[in-house]
This record gives sequence, structure tokens and C-alpha cells, in this order.
Amino acid sequence: MHLPEYYEFCCTVKTVAGHDVLESIPELLSKMNSKKTMIITDKGVELAGLVKIVTDAISENIEIGAIESDVPPDSDVRVVNNLSKIYVKNGCDSIIAVGGGSVLDTAKGVNIIVSENSDDLMKFTGAGALKRKLRPLVAVPTTSGTGSEVTSVAVIADPERNKKMAFSSLYLLPDIAVLDSRMTLTLPDFLTSQTAMDALTHAAEAYTCLSKNPVSDIHAINAIKLITENLLNVIKNPTDKEGRLALATAANIAGMSFSNSMVGMVHTLGHSIGAVCHVPHGTCMSILLPYGLEYNMHKTGEYTGELLYPLAGDKVYSKTPKSKRPEKAIEYIRDLNQKLCDATDGRHPVCLKDVLDRDGNMMVPEDKLPEIAKTALGDGSIFYNPEELDFDDILKVLKFAWSGEKLDRSLWIHKNSFKNQESL
Amino acid sequence: MGNFATLQPGGRPLVRFYLAFMLWFVGRAIQAAALVDPNVRKEFNDLPDDFSFSLGAAFNGPQMAIGKDSNGKVKYLGKNSNIVPQVKITIKSMEALFLLFTFRESTPVANSRERMTVEGNLSHACACVRILDIVQVYLLPKPIAKLAIKRYPKWSLKKHTINRLLINLRAIIGF
Repeated sequence: MHLPEYYEFCCTVKTVAGHDVLESIPELLSKMNSKKTMIITDKGVELAGLVKIVTDAISENIEIGAIESDVPPDSDVRVVNNLSKIYVKNGCDSIIAVGGGSVLDTAKGVNIIVSENSDDLMKFTGAGALKRKLRPLVAVPTTSGTGSEVTSVAVIADPERNKKMAFSSLYLLPDIAVLDSRMTLTLPDFLTSQTAMDALTHAAEAYTCLSKNPVSDIHAINAIKLITENLLNVIKNPTDKEGRLALATAANIAGMSFSNSMVGMVHTLGHSIGAVCHVPHGTCMSILLPYGLEYNMHKTGEYTGELLYPLAGDKVYSKTPKSKRPEKAIEYIRDLNQKLCDATDGRHPVCLKDVLDRDGNMMVPEDKLPEIAKTALGDGSIFYNPEELDFDDILKVLKFAWSGEKLDRSLWIHKNSFKNQESL
Repeated sequence: MGNFATLQPGGRPLVRFYLAFMLWFVGRAIQAAALVDPNVRKEFNDLPDDFSFSLGAAFNGPQMAIGKDSNGKVKYLGKNSNIVPQVKITIKSMEALFLLFTFRESTPVANSRERMTVEGNLSHACACVRILDIVQVYLLPKPIAKLAIKRYPKWSLKKHTINRLLINLRAIIGF
């Protein structure tokens, strides 16, 4: 086990999980002196009837000051500003965020503005800009992927600059995370698969990147185990409540893990593809994860090999020689992606050129790859990747991920460190 | 009860002097590298006009700041700059900065061990770290530079000799 000379781990979020736990929200909010709450959600969640399930569960015991569903697929600074005005105007004193990553990130952005009494979210970008506790925030995830309900970061797009702005502070951790199996029962198969692969990526990068530590490792391993034991079953049987709760729990603990160990190049590239081409985050993660593990293998192959145990189980792990485990783990992830692609009739793409929008148009044209690579150089997660990444490195990896070919690591052999097996 | 001496923070004057010297030299080397090295120049060109960043230790530890004026000229702004930097890289303690500047801990490892905080725009902070990495390669012998960065770059002979000489000379004479 890797025991760094120094590490930190913090998760102050109270997690409440089960099959009917929404009903406990009013009591939890009253303990934080909240009397009037605002629900932030998106149109898809509202149309799926999930907001009604939440309001039915809580409205008898707490006043709901506003229900706003104007959150776009990518959190947007303009929406954050608008929702903050509604929060203040309606005299709300807490937020319940019901949705996926963009809803939770939007709610975090709103909470910054209303708690800091500011009108400019951009003043709080980066790490450490927040200096005090924010107002009560309850997170009710409706996907099992982002782990935003237990993370201290938010990513919000700034359309004027075509960039995703990152916010990082322990004060961004929600107060309560409510994992209720009713919230993910109607999630379509392709979203279930992509968001679960997002959680798997959180866990895999937390386990293999520079800030790994024994506490985050335990969370990562358990998250991977829960995902691989349940994901394909849930895709085949979407109403499997136990399986849904297992995936929600996996996303939750993977979130705890990566929020403390941070993530590496899979997220560096994924954030940039999202910013430039607006590809859903989970799609980017599922495609890029094998490439990130391959690229870093000369430095973190030992850790990647250890992932084979939670990915494939004890029999496969024990039968595979130690030197072959890293490749086997990556092969397992590629196989899982292919099975998910087949099970969702191709709606879980396995390479970037196959990512299509609703009209069937390619979302990542090959000529966009240089722009994506340039954007990636400004993503903070690049700091945590074990191996250095420059523009050319990123572009090469993107080309492989675009075509779907395995990474040809011999292309990097001229660069010193690819010959070395030394670890940082 | 109540009869005790107040312990003042500070002390370790030699460590403080060493760190202040290193920051002074790195700061002047960045100014020189912006003139000599095309990659450093490009990084600064991509940053906004009137951009500035600082690097130093928390709790009144030594600091240095670098600024770029509206004409694109990069200047070392000294240790007691009155400007508010757009990007502030703070090492959490003098001890952590000492580990970094004695090359017992690389920049990426220091970052992964939560020894530094970054305030400001993260993409600009990434550019600052890339600039610092390049300058470290110019200033340090290869075996030591390899401890400080993730990957030692493959550079031309000109970069390793003429540019290195120019940057070190300019850093010493402050020109």
C-alpha cells in the first residue's frame, strides 16, 4: 500500500442513503435553522417526475420558496446569477439541488453568490477564494456519476470566454447528500452507463494519480467493486432498486475519494472536450479512461494493476501474473465499454469520432483536436497527473481516442521518462 | 498562572535568508527567460496584459512577484510588491518551501501533498507553473532539475548552453 509522507483527507458531508430517505430532508434542514428552501433542478429531472417525488416527500414539513428548473446541461455563470436573484427575492435560506453534476455545480455557484452577498461569481474562481461557511445546501443526485454531492469543487462555464471555470474550497462541500434509489430508477440506460463510467474514472484516477493516499484508496477500490458488480445488471434490469442504490453509493464514495486525491489527465482532456465540443462529461470519461491509464503506465502501472482486483474479481486477479495486470485492467475497462455500447444500442460510444449529437452529427470533428489540446493545458487537474503532458502529448492521445485505436506508447519512447520505471 | 513568555512566530533566519535569495534569483531568472526563451515568452504573451503572479511562503514568509506590463514586458517586481497579484501561489509554510527549494520534494509532489494553494484563475496558474518548470531547468544541473519536475525536457544544444548562460547571467546582473 502506498503511504505518502504527508496526506490530507476531509469529507464533512453527512450522507443519508436508502430507498426512501427524501422524507428526512425537512428534519435535516431544520437542524440547520432553515425555514424556507429553494429547489434547483433541470427540465429533464422535472419532466421525469423526480421533482414531484421530492416535493411530495418534503412539502408538508418545510416551506419551498422557489422551484427553478432552468439549469442547462453545462452549468453557466449567467444562470447562476439569475437563480441567485430569485433566491434572494423569495427570501430563501437554503438550497436543495435535485439533479446531476450541472445542477449540483449550479447550486454551489448560487450558494457562493447568496452567501457572499456578491454579484460576481468569477471573483471566487480558483482554489481558496472562499473564506467562510456557506448557507445550507442539500444535494440530491439523480445520476450515479459525478459525486458532486461530496466534492469540494464546482465547474461552471463562462460562455463569453468559452471556458469552464473551476471553483475549489472545502466550503463548497454540501451539508447533506441524500441518496434515494427512487431518484435514479428512471435514468435511461445510456445515461446510467456513462455516469457510472464517470464514477469509475473518479475512482481509477484517485487511485493512480499523485495525491493518492490510504483513505482515498479504500474508497476508490470499494467504488470500483460496486460499479463492476452492478452496472451491467442495472442496464439489463433498470428497476433493480438495490443495484441503483449500489451505483449511487459507488458514485458517492468515488466522489469522496477523488475530492481528496484529485484526478489527472482523463479529466484534463475530458473537461476540455466538454468545453470546446460540449460532449457530456461521462461520455468523455468512459472513452478517455483507458488512454489515461495507458499513458501513465510507466509511472503508475503498479497501481493500475491493483485495479484489476476490484474490476475483474479475485479469480482473474490471482490468475494474472503481476506484470500483466496493468494491461489486463485496461483491457477489462475497454471490454466493459464495449459491452455497454452493445447494451445501449451504440449510445455509449467507445471513441470520440463516434460521439454524435441528437441530429446524428459528429460532436468532435478531428480538426477540433488542437483547440481541445490547447484548452487542456489550462486545466488544473493536469498538475495531479503522474506524467508530464505538453501540447504534443495531449494531441497524440486525443488522436488515438478519436479513432478508437489503443495508445501506441512507443511514440513517446524518445522522451526520457518513458524509458524509466521510476516513480515520482 | 499567566506568567509565561509570549512565543513570537518567526525565527530560523538562515532558512529565511536562503529562501529569500532563491526567490530573488528565480524571479530575476523568469524576467530573463521571458527575453531569451521562446516558450516562456509565448506563455507570457498568452497571459493578459498587466498580469502578475506571486510565489512565496505563508505566514509572512518570503515572497516574490512577477508582472507583465501593458507593453508585454515581463518584470521581476521584488519581494515587497504592493500589487495584488492575479495569481497567488502560496506554499503553506517556510518548511514546505524549504523542502521545495532544497529539491527534496518536487513541485508536483509538493502540490499533491497539499503544500501549496493557488488563488486566482487556474488556467493562468497552469501557465505560471509551466514557466517555473522551464526556468528551473535553466537554473539547475540536470540531476537536480530531474528531482524538481515531472519530465526533463529534450532541448537543443543551443538552449542548454547559450540560453542557459544568458539567463543565468541576466539573472545575476539583473538585466
